[in-house]
Amino acid sequence: MNREEFIERLKTIVAKYAQNKEALAGINEETDFINDLKINSANLVDVVLDIEEEFDIVIDNESMEKMLNVKVALDIIEQKLQEK
Amino acid sequence: MIGVDIVDLQQARLDSNWRRKGYLDKLFTAAEQLLIATAPEADVMVWLLWSMKESAYKIDSRKTGLRSFAPIKLVCSKVVIDGQSATGMVRYGEGLYYTQSELHQDYIRTIASGTPAALQNADVKITGLFADYKNSNPQCVSHHGRYLALAFKC
Repeated sequence: MNREEFIERLKTIVAKYAQNKEALAGINEETDFINDLKINSANLVDVVLDIEEEFDIVIDNESMEKMLNVKVALDIIEQKLQEK
Repeated sequence: MIGVDIVDLQQARLDSNWRRKGYLDKLFTAAEQLLIATAPEADVMVWLLWSMKESAYKIDSRKTGLRSFAPIKLVCSKVVIDGQSATGMVRYGEGLYYTQSELHQDYIRTIASGTPAALQNADVKITGLFADYKNSNPQCVSHHGRYLALAFKC
């Protein structure tokens, strides 16, 4: 799967929590979950749990710490999928 | 330095299902989860602990300039609830923060500081969402749902 396809799947997940729909429409690797999409910090956990379910992976706390933007989230998803 | 956080309880109930599988494990330590499990109102304890972590994190991230999402590393302790008020402590790495919270039926707001004295001297205002607050120069701002919480240092 290429990065664009990953971004599309991630976009579907974050769409449930993103308050800034404009930023959501223009989502790219540089998009920040909190600063750009205005996802409530308590909902970041939901994003992580949804990613775990969608990709059937486990995201450890060390990885979650860094998951503040699309690029890092994609890197972590790819890494966890390779480890499977 | 003061950190402030407000949780609109109505908004939190709409937005977050903390009973979701795996949710509490990613946010709260075993000791914190015990507090939630044994609290008379689990809902209130969840958002009290969360606002404690958030208010302490705000000070830390301003001091260090670093961002991260590590709720488990923000460790709450000494949580004492007395009527509509609560106090506690949050440890985050090397940092130790004191917290004071107001438990309103519609919201929970917490202020954090590195010293108990600074908490005493803090002035917190809670307003509606569209208040023009920029000129009042607050030290820290928190917005959630219907509320804005502004913290001032006296």
